Amino acid sequence: MAQSFSWQSVEPSDWRSDIQVIIDDGFIYFDFLAGVDRENINGYPGTEVVAHLAKPDLSDSLFIFTQVFNELASITDLIPAANWHERECAEMFGITFNGGAAKPLLRHEDLGRPPLRKSTVLVARVLTPWPGGAEPEIKEDGRKVGNASRRRQRPPGVPENWLTP
Amino acid sequence: MKHSFIALIEDKCTSCMLCVRECPAWCIHLDSHTVDVTEEGARRPRKVNVLDSFEIDYSLCMYCGVCIDVCPFDALAWDEHRALVTTNREDMLLGIEDLGFSGSS
Repeated sequence: MAQSFSWQSVEPSDWRSDIQVIIDDGFIYFDFLAGVDRENINGYPGTEVVAHLAKPDLSDSLFIFTQVFNELASITDLIPAANWHERECAEMFGITFNGGAAKPLLRHEDLGRPPLRKSTVLVARVLTPWPGGAEPEIKEDGRKVGNASRRRQRPPGVPENWLTP
Repeated sequence: MKHSFIALIEDKCTSCMLCVRECPAWCIHLDSHTVDVTEEGARRPRKVNVLDSFEIDYSLCMYCGVCIDVCPFDALAWDEHRALVTTNREDMLLGIEDLGFSGSS
């Protein structure tokens, strides 16, 4: 792959114009665009969008990223291939790409919150009994045998009140 | 070493539940009970967990190996069994007797 990698952080308002500058510098090979949910990691408040562009001979490549909350300018007029990635990013992370195609990629629009956001609780995690709730004297279904008294454990990623019916 | 099977070394398992809780696919089910063991010279009986059942649901397992990494007693290990081929979902649920370590990894 590329000889060198570099990272560049840009302001969300400069996203489109900075990518234009990078393309003009010769980074015309578009690899991917993706979202990263960094919510609550080291106090980071939002989601990141990362795009990877490289020179056609792969001698140099650049990851350009920006912090977004809900919307970002679309780059499909600069890079038509980014359309698929923006649609994926939009339905998985709930980011609106202004000026891009609004058509969903795979998910039905009524399926609820974007699934790759950390704040989205997966329904299957709530409906499925967690095998880790068991203890030597507490069975998987919550039944207690012997003199078990320990507080029930909670599965990672499921908020406290989701388990109580 | 092939990452094709996760085997249980039953003697080493202390039913600590760490693998069950860390499994991202929730595919391990463990059942155990506590017995009192009185040792000579000890003031009071010691509580020991006895493993009743241990099941890995290979229809859910994604072979990530987190359970193997997290086990403090090395009771889980990669093994060279072949991955299962079956048309029946229940055949994917392997218990203690099916999860034996072949020692070939």
